[in-house]
Amino acid sequence: MKISFRCNGKPMQLEISPETRALDVLRDTLGLTGVKEGCGKGECGACTVLVDGLPVSSCLLPAAKLEGTEVLTIEGLRKPDGSLHPLQQAFLDEGAVQCGFCTPGMIMSAKALLDETPRPQVEDIEEALSGNICRCTGYGKIVQAVMRAAEKSEEGRHDG
Amino acid sequence: MYYCIPRTVNEALQTVAEHPAGAFIAGGTDLMILISEGLKKPDGLIDLSRIEDLRAIRKDEKFLILGSAVTMRQLARHEDIPLCLRMGASQVGSPQIRSVATLGGNICNASPCGDTLPGLLVLDAEFLLKSLKEERRVKAKDFFLSPKKTALRTGEILVEVRFPLIKLTGSSGFAKIGQRRGQVISQVNAAVWCTLEKESGVLSDLRIAAGSVAPVPLELTALEEKLLGKVLDDETIEGVRQVAGELIAPITDVRATEEYRRAVMGSLIVDALRSALEASGRWKGGNK
Ligand SMILES: Cc1cc2nc3c(=O)[nH]c(=O)nc-3n(C[C@H](O)[C@H](O)[C@H](O)COP(=O)(O)OP(=O)(O)OC[C@H]3O[C@@H](n4cnc5c(N)ncnc54)[C@H](O)[C@@H]3O)c2cc1C
Ligand code: FES
Ligand code: FES
Repeated sequence: MKISFRCNGKPMQLEISPETRALDVLRDTLGLTGVKEGCGKGECGACTVLVDGLPVSSCLLPAAKLEGTEVLTIEGLRKPDGSLHPLQQAFLDEGAVQCGFCTPGMIMSAKALLDETPRPQVEDIEEALSGNICRCTGYGKIVQAVMRAAEKSEEGRHDG
Repeated sequence: MYYCIPRTVNEALQTVAEHPAGAFIAGGTDLMILISEGLKKPDGLIDLSRIEDLRAIRKDEKFLILGSAVTMRQLARHEDIPLCLRMGASQVGSPQIRSVATLGGNICNASPCGDTLPGLLVLDAEFLLKSLKEERRVKAKDFFLSPKKTALRTGEILVEVRFPLIKLTGSSGFAKIGQRRGQVISQVNAAVWCTLEKESGVLSDLRIAAGSVAPVPLELTALEEKLLGKVLDDETIEGVRQVAGELIAPITDVRATEEYRRAVMGSLIVDALRSALEASGRWKGGNK
C-alpha cells in the first residue's frame, strides 16, 4: 500500500507492506537510525517519535498509521543552520548521556513536554519521561538537562 | 494482509462483512503485541482510529457519550470526565501508550486489569454495539464474560460508551497498585463512586468495583451494602481494610499472589475513596 506523510518537514510517499512497523520504515527505509529499538513491546521508549506532536512508541505503530501525519524524529530537531536544539545541547552540557541508546527517545518525550509546558516542574518532567527507560544514568541528570533546556528556551524567548 | 482506513462506522462494518477474518485496530497497543507474538493472525486490519464520530466526547440531555476511539490522553485531560475514569486513563502505560491507546480497545481487550473498567462499572456505563444488521446496547456489567471474552459478536463494532449525566453529580475516584510507579500493569485496581448527605456526611449512595481480583472486573456489592448509610470515619475505614479482602475471589498469577491481592484490596478501596472525597474537601479519614 502507498502512504504519504511528512517526516522531519519533508513530504514522503512510500510503498509499504501493511505488516511493517513505523519503526522499520523510519530506520530501514528512511535511514533514520536515531530511532532505536529496545524492547519492541512498547515498554522502554527508545523508539519514541512524535506523530502530530504526540509522543508515540514507533515499535507498536503500524506504518500504515503514519498516513497523513507529521512525524518528527531526533534527526529533525537540529536547526536549519546545523546548530543543536536546546534539548540536545542541554543533554551534552549536563552530561545526561552515557551509552546514549535511550537518549533520542528521552529527548523526543522531553520535546513533546516542552512544546506543551514550556516551564515544567520536576514532577512534570518525571511524568513526561515515565515511559523512557535508561539503563545507565540515574535519571537525575536527564531531568536536570530538560530543566536547563526549558530555562534556555525561555531566555531565548525573552532575548528576542 | 490488507490495511484499510475507513472514514465512517458503516464503511468499517461493510469492510468487515466482506472480510470476516480481518480485525479492527484502534490504537493497536494490545493488538500489535498479540500479532507480533503470533497469538493473532488476522488477514487484514481495519483501522477505527480515523472515524470522526468515534473520537468525540459529547453530551445530550441525559448522557455523557464517549466515542470508542477516544484516547487515554483525551480522557485523562477532559474536565467533564468523572475522576474514576480520568484517573484510570491517566495511569494506563506511559505517555507514549496513552497518545494512541483507546477506551474502546481497553474495553474490547477485556483484560481483568484494564484500568478504565472498574470506573465504567461504577458509572453504570452502557456500550452501543453496531453491526450491519442491528444495533444494541449492553451494560458494562453484562459485557465482560471472562478474561479476554466479551459479549461482542464477530462483525460488531463498539461505537460509543455512555453513562447518565446524574453520575456527574457524585464524587468518584480510582487507585491502582502495580510493581512500580509508572508504566505498569495493575496487580489490583479499584474505582468508587459515591454521594454523601450534605450535613451528616452519611453515604447515601455508593458503588465500588475492582479489577484483577476475579476473571472479570467486578462490583463489590456486599461491601457497598455494609457501608451504605455510614459515615466514613476512622472506624468505618478500618472496617473496609479488614473485610474487603474476604469479599473477592482472586487468583495467583505472574503479577501477584492471591494472598497479596486480598491483603491490599481494602487499602486500595480506601485510597480510591480518599481520591474521590479529597477533591471536594470531604475526606475525614486522615492520611493513613
Ligand atoms: C507497554 C504497555 C503498557 C500498558 N499498560 C496498561 C495499563 O497500565 N493499564 C491498562 O489498562 N492497559 C495497559 N496496556 C494495554 C493497552 O494499552 C490498553 O488495553 C489499551 O486501552 C488498548 O487500546 P488500543 O486502542 O490500543 O486497542 P487495540 O490494540 O487497537 O485493540 C484491542 C482489541 O480490541 C478490539 N477493538 C478495539 N476497538 C474496538 C471497537 N471500537 N470495536 C470492536 N473491537 C475493538 C481490537 O480488535 C483488539 O482485539 C498496556 C499496553 C502496553 C503495550
Ligand atoms: S522499542 Fe519501542 S518501546 Fe521499546
Ligand atoms: S544512557 Fe545508556 S540507556 Fe540511557
